[in-house]
Formats: sequence, C-alpha cells, structure tokens
Amino acid sequence: MSAQPNMMPSISLQARNVAKSFTSGKISHTVLHDLTLDVRAGELTLISGPSGCGKSTLLAILSGLQRPDGGHVTALGQDLGVLGMRELERFRLLHTGFVFQGFNLFPALNALEQVELPLSYLGLAPGEARRRAIASLEEVGLGPRMDLRPSELSGGEKQRVAIARALAKEPGLLFADEPTSALDAANGQIIIDILHRIARTHGTTVLCVSHDPRLVGHADRVLAMEDGRILSDRVPSPASTTSGHEEPTA
Amino acid sequence: MVALARKTLIYEWRRFLPAILAVGFAGLLQLLQAALVLGIFGSASVYITGSSADLWAGYPGTQSVNLGRSIDSGVEMRLRMDPAVTAVEPFHWVDADWRGPSDTGGVSVFVSGINARPDGLMFAHALPLALRARLNEPDAVIVDKADLDSLGVSVGDSAVINGHRVRVVGVSSGLRALGGVNVVASLATAAELDTDPSNASRMTYFVAKLRDPSQADDVAARLRGNSAFGKYDVWTAQDFARRSQLYWMFDTGAGAGVLFLAGIVFLVGAVITSQTLVAAVIGSVREYATLNALGVGVGALRKVVMEQAFWVGALGLIGSIVLGALAFVLARSRSVPVALDPWATLACLALGMGLAIVSGLAAMRSLRRADPATLLR
Repeated sequence: MSAQPNMMPSISLQARNVAKSFTSGKISHTVLHDLTLDVRAGELTLISGPSGCGKSTLLAILSGLQRPDGGHVTALGQDLGVLGMRELERFRLLHTGFVFQGFNLFPALNALEQVELPLSYLGLAPGEARRRAIASLEEVGLGPRMDLRPSELSGGEKQRVAIARALAKEPGLLFADEPTSALDAANGQIIIDILHRIARTHGTTVLCVSHDPRLVGHADRVLAMEDGRILSDRVPSPASTTSGHEEPTA
Repeated sequence: MVALARKTLIYEWRRFLPAILAVGFAGLLQLLQAALVLGIFGSASVYITGSSADLWAGYPGTQSVNLGRSIDSGVEMRLRMDPAVTAVEPFHWVDADWRGPSDTGGVSVFVSGINARPDGLMFAHALPLALRARLNEPDAVIVDKADLDSLGVSVGDSAVINGHRVRVVGVSSGLRALGGVNVVASLATAAELDTDPSNASRMTYFVAKLRDPSQADDVAARLRGNSAFGKYDVWTAQDFARRSQLYWMFDTGAGAGVLFLAGIVFLVGAVITSQTLVAAVIGSVREYATLNALGVGVGALRKVVMEQAFWVGALGLIGSIVLGALAFVLARSRSVPVALDPWATLACLALGMGLAIVSGLAAMRSLRRADPATLLR
C-alpha cells in the first residue's frame, strides 16, 4: 500500500486564476485571489489553513458546487464553467464523492441503505448497487455493522458510512471537508487512513480540506492557505517521494 | 431503489403524525358533511327512492316532488297503453294542516295517498306489507316513528287533517320529510282530505313499473310529448329524485354552505399538512443537500417529498374511512339521516388527497434550502 506507482500521476483537477468574493451590503470581501492550482490523481491532497482562509470556498468551486467569479476549473478534463445546473449534477453523480464534517446520514436508513441510496440514482441494477454498497462498507471496515442505523453507530463509524457512500459511486474525485473535526484522535486517524488508502488503491483524486494539524503527516501533499492565497505547497511524508516539491502557484 | 420516503415516514412517524391527522380529519369532515347533506336532502325524494316505480308522470316543469300540480287522470291510460309498462298507479299528494289531540298547534303535513294493495309501487320499500294493509281501514294514516312527538300523537290516537278525522294505525321508519311531516294514507282517504275542488278527477302523479327498468330513459322519452291528455311530463325515478334533491339543496342555500365549508376544511387541512411537511423537509435538509452534492438531482429529491405527501394522504384517508364508517353506523343507529353514494365518497377522498398533494407542492419549495454549498464551512 505504501508503494507509489512509478509513473508520474496525472493531473485530474485544475484551477486557473480562480477568484471569488462575497458581497454583504456595501462591503465586498474577496475570499479567493486569482488562485491557480493543479491536483493529481492517486494522491491525498490536503488544504490546510485557519478558518476563514477560503479553503472551503476553494473546495466548493473545485467540486462544482459553486461557480467562481473569474477563472476556470477543469475536472477530469471537463471545463465545469460550461456546464448547466443539470449537467453539473450529472457530472457530480458520475464523478464526484463528498464527505462532510457533519455526517448527514438519513436517520431512517441503515448503513447499507445509506450507501445504496445514491447508487440507485446512477441507474445501477439493484443487485449491482447492493454488491457495490457492501464492498464499500467492507472497505471502510463496517461489513459487520451494515444493518445499523446512524443512532446505533459511533461518530467515527458514521463518518466511515459517509465515506462508503461517496466511495461506492467509484468517483474519480473525492472531496472531504473537515472530515475529522467532529471526531476524536483515534477515529480521525482511521478516517484519514481510509481516505489515503482510497487515493492509492483506486487512483482517486482525494482533496481534503482541514485545519486539523494531525492530518498533515498523512497527506501526500499539503497546501497551506491563508487569506485566499496558497502560501506553501509541500510534501510532508518521506514515504511519498515522487510528487516532489512545488512552488506556490498563486 | 431505497424507499427513502417510506422508511423516513415510518421511522420518523411522530414528525409526520400531525399531517396524517390533518388529512384524516379533513377527509372525515368532508365525508360526514357529504353524508349529512345527502341524507337530509335525500329525504326530499323519499317518495321516489322509497318506491319501486321506474317512471313518474307529473305536471311539466315540476322542480321537486313536493311541488306537484295535478294532471289529467287520462294520463294513466296513456301509460298503460305502452307495452313496456307492467303496472301504473296514482299518487295523490295533499298539502294539509294537522291538528293533533295534544297541544301542538297546527302542523303542516304532506299527505301521500297511495295504492294500499300488497303489490303497490308507492312506498314499497318503506312500508311493511302488514302495515300497508291497515291503510285500507277507513281514515287510517301511518306516520314516521320519529314524527310522533311533533304531531302530538301515539299509535291508535285520532287527529284532524283539513277538518277531517283520521286515526294513526301504525308507524314506520324512513318516511321523514323535509319542510314538513309525511302522512301516508290510502288513495280513498287522501281524496277525502283533499279540499281543493279543482283536483276532482285529476291526480298529482302517476307512477309506472317497467318490464325492463334499464329501458326507463327510452320509455320516458317515448311517453312524454303527447298532449292528448293535457299537459304532463314523464321522468325516470332517478332523474326526478335527483331533481328534487338539488332543488332543496340550492333552494335552501345549503349547497353553497356545503361548498364553503368544504373550502374552509380544505384550507385548514392544507395549512397544517404543508407546515408539517415543510418541517420534515427542513429537518432533513442537510441530508438532502448531501444527496444533491453527490449528484442526485433536485427533481429526484422533489419526488421524495411528493411521495411522502402521497403516503401522508393515503394514511390519513384510511383513518378517515375507518372513522367515517364508524360515525356512519352510529348515525344510522340514532336515526340521523345520513347517506353516501360512491361518487360523493370518491369526491371527498379525492379532496383529501388533493390537500396532501397541494401541501407536498408547498413543502417542495423548501428544498431550495438544500444547497450543498452550505454544507461546506
């Protein structure tokens, strides 16, 4: 698992001169300043920074949940700016998974159903959806607990269900927003390990946003953000060597 | 497909209960209101529905059975000449004034003079044969059990109608009238009570039985439009009963009242139901937003909300039907006039389901808050 593929991972997510500002009354607040960024497949990229630095906005724009005021986002070779709302939904359905700080699981559904639910909208046959859901839950170590509802699961387990829900779609892009903030150290560790493993074994582009310093050591690449700019771009772990060092792109 | 709508409804039933109750009670109110209106105004046509005649011949333009004017007795011959007709008998209607032995003042009564033979058509469904035979006694009358008090008599007592002494020989049920009290007598007794000299040798109605009742429309069409016996018209029993009920419903303004109340019930039910459904959507808005982030379209999420609205409606209406049936049985056992036909029932249930659907559409609007970008912080 720790071995990196020999070839250079391809760039799957690109931001070019992305800018975003919010207006409240007469005051306009710029959240992202002309930001350019490449994210590679098969890696866990961590964007860290203090709250309010614009990292969640960056995630929203890179994942197609929000549109930038200026610049372009290209995900898996697709320019997101040209897609309409329906097409963006379709793109997300086919290619992106999300994990949020809140687990956002339906209280009425057991773990297996939570994971199956988005799959049924992919148009998969029921048998195939169930097979994939079970495989995903087993991958996050919840095989024996897939009959339980959220109220019967711990916080860490709920987040693993949320990851399985995102993973079961077999997305090319997986976005995680503060996935460990609501969890204790041990559970946070499990979650980040799972995310890392997904990037390695599935070749998924995993982009994680967090201010949790404990995660830094587990990422393949860490982007430090402050005031809407990327300050540094480094490779924290000696285990991942091929990605090398990069200068800030913005 | 994971049945998200149904599973949520079952798991979070407490959250949906107010909506189910609102639909249930709205449906129940509509059903009871319809049953009461149909029951009360149905008694306007008890002469028709309580009889086995298929055709009614009466004065042209008669709007309700109690408003009949006399027609020529020769019409009876015209009816008998038609090969489809198997039996014809007269029905003598007399508006009269009743004075009972007790101090009840004057009571307006409708005297129905009918053929008292066992095979008579008039009130064939409302009078048992033994009771019917007693009408052959001189000056014998029958009234509804529930009217005894207002008439101030009991069985066996004498009273005076239009100055003529009569005797109550028995009581029946299902004879209650609208706007007065029904008194059933034989044709001979009724003729004695009719003080209008212009009614001599004339009759209020002639009723006929057909060999094949399903032909009633055709035979009625064939029999009307013949002026050899003076002015008369022929209606099927069904048409004449409906015409009488509608006349009462709109003449009294009750029809408008019913529609108004139905509107109020609909509105109140829709407000409660939509608020409950909105709260349910808001309660799950983060989960819906997550699904949308994962690419599940807004249309699919709307479908979930509408499915919930449908099930809320269905469960509520099942409650309405059960409670309505109980109330119906109770009302019947207490002689409260209630009646429902399948169409009225269906209309009430459709109104209840419409309420749920409208509420679902209102709740769907709050899905706008399910914006996945709000999940990022």
